[in-house]
Amino acid sequence: MFERTIIHLDQDTFFVSVERLQNSRLIGKPVIIGGLGDRGVVAGCSYEARQFGVHSAMPMKLARNLCQEAIFIRGDMQTYSKYSNMVTDIIAEQAPVFEKASIDEHYLDITGMDRFFGCEKWASGLRQTLIKETGLPISMGMSRNKTVSKIATGEAKPNGQLQVQPTLIHDFLDPLSIRKIPMIGAKTYHTLRTMGIATVKTLRQIPQEVMEKMMGKNGLLIWERANGIDNSPVQTWSQHKSISTETTFETDTIDIIHINQLLAGMCEQLAFRLRKKQQLTGCVTIKIRYANFDTHNLQQTIPYTSFDHILIPVCRELFRRLYTRRMLIRLVGIQFSRLVRGVQQLNMFEETPELINLYQAIDRMRNKHGSNIIHRALTSTNPNHKP
Amino acid sequence: MKFIVSSTLLLKQLQAISGVLSTNNTLPILDNFLFELTDSQISISASDLETTMTSRISVDMSEGEGSVAIPAKILLDTLKTLSDVPVTFDIADDNFAITLMAGEGKYKLAGQDGQEYPQVPPIESDTSFDIESDILFHAITKTIFAASTDDLRPVMAGVYCELGPDHTTFVATDAHKLVRYRRTDIKTAEGASFILPKKPLNQLKHILVQDDLPVTVEYSDTNARFTFKNIILTCRLIDGRYPNYSAVIPANNPNKMTIERVPFLNSIRRVSIFSNQTTYQVKFKIAGSELTLSAEDLDYSNEAQERLNCHYDGLDMEIGFNSKFLLEMLNNLETEQVMLSMSEPNRAGLITPVDSENEEEEILMLVMPVMLNS
Repeated sequence: MFERTIIHLDQDTFFVSVERLQNSRLIGKPVIIGGLGDRGVVAGCSYEARQFGVHSAMPMKLARNLCQEAIFIRGDMQTYSKYSNMVTDIIAEQAPVFEKASIDEHYLDITGMDRFFGCEKWASGLRQTLIKETGLPISMGMSRNKTVSKIATGEAKPNGQLQVQPTLIHDFLDPLSIRKIPMIGAKTYHTLRTMGIATVKTLRQIPQEVMEKMMGKNGLLIWERANGIDNSPVQTWSQHKSISTETTFETDTIDIIHINQLLAGMCEQLAFRLRKKQQLTGCVTIKIRYANFDTHNLQQTIPYTSFDHILIPVCRELFRRLYTRRMLIRLVGIQFSRLVRGVQQLNMFEETPELINLYQAIDRMRNKHGSNIIHRALTSTNPNHKP
Repeated sequence: MKFIVSSTLLLKQLQAISGVLSTNNTLPILDNFLFELTDSQISISASDLETTMTSRISVDMSEGEGSVAIPAKILLDTLKTLSDVPVTFDIADDNFAITLMAGEGKYKLAGQDGQEYPQVPPIESDTSFDIESDILFHAITKTIFAASTDDLRPVMAGVYCELGPDHTTFVATDAHKLVRYRRTDIKTAEGASFILPKKPLNQLKHILVQDDLPVTVEYSDTNARFTFKNIILTCRLIDGRYPNYSAVIPANNPNKMTIERVPFLNSIRRVSIFSNQTTYQVKFKIAGSELTLSAEDLDYSNEAQERLNCHYDGLDMEIGFNSKFLLEMLNNLETEQVMLSMSEPNRAGLITPVDSENEEEEILMLVMPVMLNS
């Protein structure tokens, strides 16, 4: 078996970079993107803002306190998706095998390409093309597998590239903080730090069995990552197993009428996404988070569908059954899972031709003018709706 | 109580009615066959409370009268292993202990008092009609596949029978497909309608022979009884109002495609192998005198396309269906050619046999399309 060559491409401060493309006055200033309410979280921030200690997923309230002079932007997912797709299209054109890992991340498997092009030369060329065509800064890591490439990208930022030769993987990883390993989040980091483990070198020298005893299967995986082992393939196509949406209220609420309206609106939007992607759902899950952060789920399997008028009553019924504690609600969410490819099977007794024509007309309008252009009157208090 | 009966004769009767036995009975006694002995005749019953089947046979010798419940599984398993020998049943009158004697063998098992076995509900009505065995067989097989399996809509989980002075109609639907099987040779002066559950119909299907022997059907508001040769099947009817099926059969279908049934069936079967294996959706594109069938499964990059010649009268159109439904329907037709009549891509398609030899039989199958994105 010959050595694999995996590239990881990651846009630097993707949301901020897109905003800066559209408004050059943002360049060089601290920019924070995310929900603007007190309960919003930071979705992205510029390097200038990071100097103040702001990082993504931080509560907006805290970010405001840390960096008062920052420019706060609500963000527009549709524009970001557009740029993200531009990047994906260019990669799809040139790379033999690639995986879109998130909105701003791609993995490429270019194993065997050095015979013809020289991997590094080809990869640099691709990165330059991407920067030139989209105008967005992009960092790149290249190595034997996904984990090492991703860590390399992290080290190459901002707007750089780094190749880690297979023989030098340990030399590269060993001095790094264990925090750099993608699997280690705040909690695992804390556990390991209390054990006195700070660098990847210490981590990889721990016997495998000790890691397994301590953290189970995950421990083994972390140990492998620290040793630069990762055999996971670059998956060309990863199907979304579910789609979901949730809303956190500005202030905790028990206004059931409002919540029901909101659920209908959320359901309507999700169902439209299903139809757009030609998918059907076979399982609906409702999530409630109470004011004290207790979170409850309830799900139901249903015959495959993508029609709002079938899904909305299911969501409402699930919510009715799930909301048993007379406590303020902080968040409600809807998830559609068991997704399959296909379009709606029509029902002879319940769906009149007029109703189907209505669905088609509404979907055509939404495809042309955006999904918020039209919605059910009963959902008109939907706070996501921009008049 | 004592009687002697041939093992093969008895086994045959037990097997004809044993399909009614349910594996998860609420009443333990329903795991038994009920034997009732009167004047050298025994009637044997099996029941699941909803459906009861009774078979009556003569015995070679009998002593006394009475009834006993005999464990069904042990009895069936024993009889299956015996060659054709006379079996003596000797039942103690006090504790219902059963002793079987066959050849050189002697077997004992515990029975229960037959009085404890649930009674067959009487049918308090004199409304009845006769139907030939093979007609009833066809009426069942050609409709039952379309009945719903959804417990949430119990009325659709059966076959609807509509009796009238001009014809008798059997209908089954699950809201996605519908079959209407009509006989113009069976007429009843008084109109009536009832919904028969699937389970007893499946039992009937197994015992009916392709013959013109008459089956007598009696019915009341709550129950129906079928009497065929020596077997009586009584079942509870499904309670509720059947959906207004005739309103959903579109009257005006200007786009008509006539096509050879078997090649059409085979093409759909092949193309559907390449469709998504959960939704089985296939697309028809009809233009001129050519039908293009296509299917794809994007998850696996599977794709298929086939062309077939047809006779088409109407506007070019594209319509999508669940191929499972089409296969079931085409499999249940016998004519060389079938006609698919349509109006719009979002409206029902009707499948009817072309040049049927049987003039008294009228079959209409309706299939709802899938909503193709326009």
